Amino acid sequence: MSESPLAVPFPERAGAALQDAFLQQALAIATTKFIELRKESFEGFPQGEALRDRARAIKEATLQRLDFYLGQLADSIERLGGRVHWATTGAEAREIVLRLCRDKGVRMAVKSKSMATEEIDLNEALEHAGVTPVETDLGEYIIQLAHERPSHIIAPAIHKTKGQVAELFSKELHGDFAADPEVLTAVARKALREKFLQADMGITGANFAVAETGTVALVTNEGNGRMVTSLPRLHVAVMGIEKVIPSMTDLMVFLAILARSATGQKLSSYTTLVRGPRQKGELEGPDEFHLILMDNGRARQIAGTLREALYCLRCGACLNVCPVYRQIGGHAYGYTYPGPIGILLTAMLKGTESVKDLAHASSLCGACKDVCPVRIDIPRMLIELREHLDRERIAPWPERMIFSMFKLILLSPALFHVSAFLGRALQIPFVTNGRVRRLPLFFAKWTRTRDLPPIAAKTFRERWKELD
Amino acid sequence: MKASIMITCLGDMFFPEVGVAMVKLLRALGVEVDFPDGQTCCGMPLFNSGYHADAAEVAARTVKLFEASEHVVVPSGSCAWMVKTEYPGLLKHDPALMASAIRLAAKTRELSQFLVEVLGVERVGSSFKGRVTYHDSCHLLRGLGESAAPRKLLRAVDGVELVELPGADECCGFGGSFSVRLPEVSSVILDKKLANAERTGADCLVACDAGCLMQMGGGLTRRGSRVKALHLAQVLAGEDTA
Amino acid sequence: MAARAEFLDRIKREVAKTPGLFPATPAPRPANPAEAAEIVRRQIAERWPQALERFREEFERVAGVFHRVGSLAEVPNVVRGIAKEKGVSEIVCWDRAPLGLDLRPSLGAEGLTVTVAEAGQESDEARVRHRAEAARAGLGVTGCDFALAETGTLILLSGSGRPRSTSLLPDTHVAVFDRTRLLESLEQVGIMLEALHADPARSMSGAMITFITGPSRTADIELTLTRGVHGPKEVHAIFVERP
Repeated sequence: MSESPLAVPFPERAGAALQDAFLQQALAIATTKFIELRKESFEGFPQGEALRDRARAIKEATLQRLDFYLGQLADSIERLGGRVHWATTGAEAREIVLRLCRDKGVRMAVKSKSMATEEIDLNEALEHAGVTPVETDLGEYIIQLAHERPSHIIAPAIHKTKGQVAELFSKELHGDFAADPEVLTAVARKALREKFLQADMGITGANFAVAETGTVALVTNEGNGRMVTSLPRLHVAVMGIEKVIPSMTDLMVFLAILARSATGQKLSSYTTLVRGPRQKGELEGPDEFHLILMDNGRARQIAGTLREALYCLRCGACLNVCPVYRQIGGHAYGYTYPGPIGILLTAMLKGTESVKDLAHASSLCGACKDVCPVRIDIPRMLIELREHLDRERIAPWPERMIFSMFKLILLSPALFHVSAFLGRALQIPFVTNGRVRRLPLFFAKWTRTRDLPPIAAKTFRERWKELD
Repeated sequence: MKASIMITCLGDMFFPEVGVAMVKLLRALGVEVDFPDGQTCCGMPLFNSGYHADAAEVAARTVKLFEASEHVVVPSGSCAWMVKTEYPGLLKHDPALMASAIRLAAKTRELSQFLVEVLGVERVGSSFKGRVTYHDSCHLLRGLGESAAPRKLLRAVDGVELVELPGADECCGFGGSFSVRLPEVSSVILDKKLANAERTGADCLVACDAGCLMQMGGGLTRRGSRVKALHLAQVLAGEDTA
Repeated sequence: MAARAEFLDRIKREVAKTPGLFPATPAPRPANPAEAAEIVRRQIAERWPQALERFREEFERVAGVFHRVGSLAEVPNVVRGIAKEKGVSEIVCWDRAPLGLDLRPSLGAEGLTVTVAEAGQESDEARVRHRAEAARAGLGVTGCDFALAETGTLILLSGSGRPRSTSLLPDTHVAVFDRTRLLESLEQVGIMLEALHADPARSMSGAMITFITGPSRTADIELTLTRGVHGPKEVHAIFVERP
């Protein structure tokens, strides 16, 4: 495992990302493409706006009776012969998976893409326990071989060139492969086909779980979601509690907008609806199905400031439009979930203190809220996180002092006037040709790359006297 | 028709010429303009950084200052947004102040919205020769849902050739304190915006927000660009603005 | 069961702390799913030519290959053609009932090995054997429970005589359907699924429902689209005019 990114402070991580020429190019191409695809998709879809409103309402309605729906989901799954496990913490969820592996003699598990399992560092725990986890989503497979973390919620290996992937595959799979995506895809197909057929356990997340029918829904493009839920003898799904929805009718609402938001597709190549283990009479499918319902900090937000973040469908649309994410990519954020929603999810999972820098990694432009399929007001919650940081005195005291002084000035026109007067005097050595080009100390943060207009010789208030 | 000018802190200190242009413009359109004394700031910098109790105090002051106004016109989308959407919530602990804030929210408009919605004007009758490109400030575009009014107004000025800015709806990177908390990221975002602006061949980059103008103007002069950053009011008031 | 009660109690307490962000209800559902499904069927019975046209458009848009034949008797020809084109010698297919026909008589004679997943097979032995057969086969032929026009999607229910691997393991997947399978919108799919799940033991013999929209694909490497990552590289749909 590479050194924790958190050892390096966030502004430095961001700075390093800005220096990475390939990353900059990859981000520009990928995010621009995703933005275009999403835009086109919704432009040709007039029902889209009403469906987004409906989707948001379903999420809210579900949270209002979350205990009921989770109970109903569990009953439905047990009726189908599946088992339900309750994990309050990430550690508990990990332990449940490990126990199942021990009890069932699992040596190799194939995984379909699951952010929930990344969140709890499941792969590391499995490896320590002597179980080999194999990521099968191509992007996840790539970063697993590279011992890296995903850099985007839906396109985890966006930061890698095809040359890097070819090198990686050649080294890890003992071959000599061309830097051609077709060739590399075929290599992965062959290598992973073996794993699917031999694995003891398939591990997935869940995009949605329908309470009434006990259906776990997986939205994928590659087919690995189908493989891991049909070939191994065990299927384990790890799911955040907020993924439950009431009915099949509700599911269709989300399916109508999820792929469009993520990749601009009307539907992804595969939507897999799993109702428990193999049924009597079926030739294929797992002997056992286990659903792990995981809290890991979510329940606390039901009545908390981050409640709305529980609506998240993990589509990645907010990442693609975020001016900050587009420049620094996912790794710089340092946690499982990057981008705008990632800041909120990190606060949810690890506490407000963990985002004391990330909460400010936003210009509050609102582009994220615009594209979120369930209209999560991310900027508002970022401001509220900042408010927590202030209230809990987590923000550094020099900053709090400056803002207190700032407030005093704003409450007094006399002080405001005096500041203008003083500023005008103090800036004299720094003004050249009508611009301020260099300022000392803290203000150099601005002038390193930008000029400033000088404080005007007469403020508007002073000029009003002439105009009146 | 009477209108009060909310000049904004940045407007007062750094861009008084924008305020002057606004006054000229509004008077030419028959509006009686006043300027309630004692203005400082709408409090948004405090609010965005999470200092909400402090922001509420500033909001309370501002609300009282404009109590008597018939209309309030703001040369800044972000400040107009702050007053219209955040003030009532900030003052909810005091019913009288909150009621006052709601009244203020209803009568406050960013300049282009005031011209088009309240005055019903698109052609202000001035002239300004040049190729112009327009940047959608985030709070005006997404906070107040306005992208048409500034463009209508610009197109109707004699001599203006309006060209669409690629990525017009993308943030300029200002974001208030963001610009100094993460200056490198802010600058790279700005570079992208300015490259787009220069590619249009425009003489002027126009916006309706002092924050954006500080950021974009600061970047343009630093790179010695021939593109000038101007406020909408300056273009609408014609070439001979002071 | 203490774990469940404790867990849900805690959630209940959190839920009770707040009325929520705004009044909201889940999506309205058909009061009588069976009736609603019948209404959909009647609507489609009248509109099927337009639905088919739309299906073809959308199916081809996601790189599906569309075929149209007059009757079931012509299906083996099409399958043979595809098999020849792909150089396939082994085929797996669904049982006669869900597929609509038995391909063995017509194709078995031509050096093509056709394996039918017969209903009622459940033993471990049969499971192991079929997995190997499906893994070897170059072509899988299935029926199709619903064909969604809005998105060009084939919807398949798994179950007895209709294994999951037939449309998953072989490089090429062929689905056979007729006008009675067409649906126009995801909303209608919702109604049909509500109807199926109203009595699941009776209407579904398997645990999986798969929506297939084109071949397996990915753009994970430099955003370059490639097909056939884990699932089929190519998907064919054969529409049979006379059901």
